[in-house]
Amino acid sequence: MTDFIEFGRTWMPFLLEGVGVTVGLWAVAMVLGFCLALVLVWARVYASKPLYLLATLYVEVFRGTPMLVQLFFIYLGLPEIGIVLDPFTAAAVAIGLNSAAYQAEYFRGAIQSLPSGQMIAARAMGMSRFQALRDIILPQAGRRVIPQWSNEAIVELKYTSIAYAIGLTELTSRAEQVGYQTFQFLEAFTLVAIIYLVLTGIVAQTLDFVEKRTRVPGLTNSGGKMS
Amino acid sequence: MVFDTLVAEFPFLLRGLWIGLQLLAALLTLGFVLGLTLSVMSVYGHWTLRLFTLLFERVFRGIPEIVLLLLFFYGIGELIPMSPFIAAVIALGLRSTAYQAQIFRGAMQSVDDGEVMAARALGLSRLATIRHIVLPQALRRSIGPWTNEYSSELKATSLAYVIGVVELTRQASYIVSNLQGNTLTVFAVVAAMYFVVNRLGNAGLYALERKMAIPGFEGRGRET
Amino acid sequence: MSDTPILSVRNIRKTYGGIEVLKGVSFDLERGQSKIVIGPSGTGKSTLLRCINLLSPPDDGSVILDGVTVEQKGINQLRAQIGFVFQEFNLFTHLCVLDNVRLAQRNVLGRSRHEATRRAMEELERVGLADKLDAYPAELSGGQKQRASIARALAMDPKLILFDEPTSALDPELTGEVVQVMKELANAGMTMLVVSHEMGFAKAAADEVIFMEGGVIVEQGPPSTLFTQPEHARTSQFLQMLTHEHHET
Repeated sequence: MTDFIEFGRTWMPFLLEGVGVTVGLWAVAMVLGFCLALVLVWARVYASKPLYLLATLYVEVFRGTPMLVQLFFIYLGLPEIGIVLDPFTAAAVAIGLNSAAYQAEYFRGAIQSLPSGQMIAARAMGMSRFQALRDIILPQAGRRVIPQWSNEAIVELKYTSIAYAIGLTELTSRAEQVGYQTFQFLEAFTLVAIIYLVLTGIVAQTLDFVEKRTRVPGLTNSGGKMS
Repeated sequence: MVFDTLVAEFPFLLRGLWIGLQLLAALLTLGFVLGLTLSVMSVYGHWTLRLFTLLFERVFRGIPEIVLLLLFFYGIGELIPMSPFIAAVIALGLRSTAYQAQIFRGAMQSVDDGEVMAARALGLSRLATIRHIVLPQALRRSIGPWTNEYSSELKATSLAYVIGVVELTRQASYIVSNLQGNTLTVFAVVAAMYFVVNRLGNAGLYALERKMAIPGFEGRGRET
Repeated sequence: MSDTPILSVRNIRKTYGGIEVLKGVSFDLERGQSKIVIGPSGTGKSTLLRCINLLSPPDDGSVILDGVTVEQKGINQLRAQIGFVFQEFNLFTHLCVLDNVRLAQRNVLGRSRHEATRRAMEELERVGLADKLDAYPAELSGGQKQRASIARALAMDPKLILFDEPTSALDPELTGEVVQVMKELANAGMTMLVVSHEMGFAKAAADEVIFMEGGVIVEQGPPSTLFTQPEHARTSQFLQMLTHEHHET
């Protein structure tokens, strides 16, 4: 145990330098995923049939295939048609595109769980469809989606470790480097596992706090009506 | 041509898929047995068991799959040498245990307390009540969420790539490096294979869920 | 042998969350007797029933079933001898009616499949559900559910049956069929302890009425006496309230 603490003292700083890359990758991917998810959910809930089908296909494909394959497709495959991305960008795009599919599903679920009267009432008061979406539907759906969205955020945070497979020097890859330098793989990977646990714990706590702060009095956030 | 190459290489992909499916079956089985045990212990056991289960779930849900794979293969493998396949079964199986334990725990807690009380009033022991009343209902209700777990673990098998399990994704990367080209096509085909297996599994599980549905009982809507 | 009561409840006390729900309740139930327990809600009537088969163990006092003290040791075999009918029926959702009635016979009494089926059919026939053997609880009406749960209790050949407000969860038009079954049981000599405000049953089939309030038995006696000339003012007040309610509904 004391050996492990000593090991941690020596290598923790080196590992912690990887936190920046991991968190940066996560943040870029989440933002990308969020923006794309808004487009997707609009296409799936409000747009015309062809767009609906296209968005549905997108969601099904990205949810139905492994992210590692998506990453290889982007990082190793796209150069064939002249799109060359560095590991960070490739990973951010892959995780972002994948996350968009999941985020879109959660948003759609939240929007469709709202009583239809909300949209009708807003339109009846003379609001445009866009205004109704922005001021009535999204603020409510946004609140409902927070629990699932936090879950998704944590899943994606863990998924950033996938960039290890294409040689990005993030947390996991640094742990491997420590392993090769010290031949203490068990200690190295345990240390990095602890860092991930702390990171996911912080994200979970923060989003839990946000959920409590944004709660509408009297409305339970059960995430949907019981039919 | 692309097509000829694919035909020539397809048997390798199928072999990789077969390994991936074996990995999937093994890790889901491990997760099922341990997850069910943990959930029964945490719902009906001493509070220390409940605490242990919660901690177990927290830890295995909070660490990336890749780190778990590396930790078991390179880390624990230092002490207890194991093949990449075994390491993958254990690492992903324990993670699946955490998720399945949560599924079963929720399902068990949703079984009507009144029925448990009625069983005890008829003289059934605690164990008999769990076996005859709680589990048959809880397992039925678990099929829906378990379908999600199946999908997520099928995709997770591809991560065993990082410790050298020659499953579908690694076969694909071998083919790509041998061919020096057709990368997009090969990975698209591989993606399609995962997609199809995912769909088939889901269809099978939906059919099972419908078959096991209790007549007249309004099942709660499946959450996706 | 028939002189000893089949059930002897002695000085039962039970405290729930700091409130003493039962403050020393004692009574006897003779073989073949049926007693009905009435009283305002929250006076511990249901708790009393649950104390008898230790579904909620009493803090003090004792329960003697046919000469045997009911205690945690060997409780499952003792519970098998005490039928229990719940307000909410509590049929096993995942089992058809026949299996609901067979399960404990096989698991607790160790009866053969054949024997369990035979007894189940007999009792289901008695409660008028012979045509519902394969139905699942969710496919039954409330009255049918309660009749099935009575058959489930009967098939265990219990020494007595406890009824915990058996008609309270039923729509008014469905209570009749359950009360009818209970009357027939009482007339056939089944020993019964019934918590209910079902006056029809009380007048037609109960040998004795127990009026409980505030965790104690205020008075007890045959329905003819208790309903017409109650000794205590509280009893008559309560009875007036009951008749008043019944007229309104």
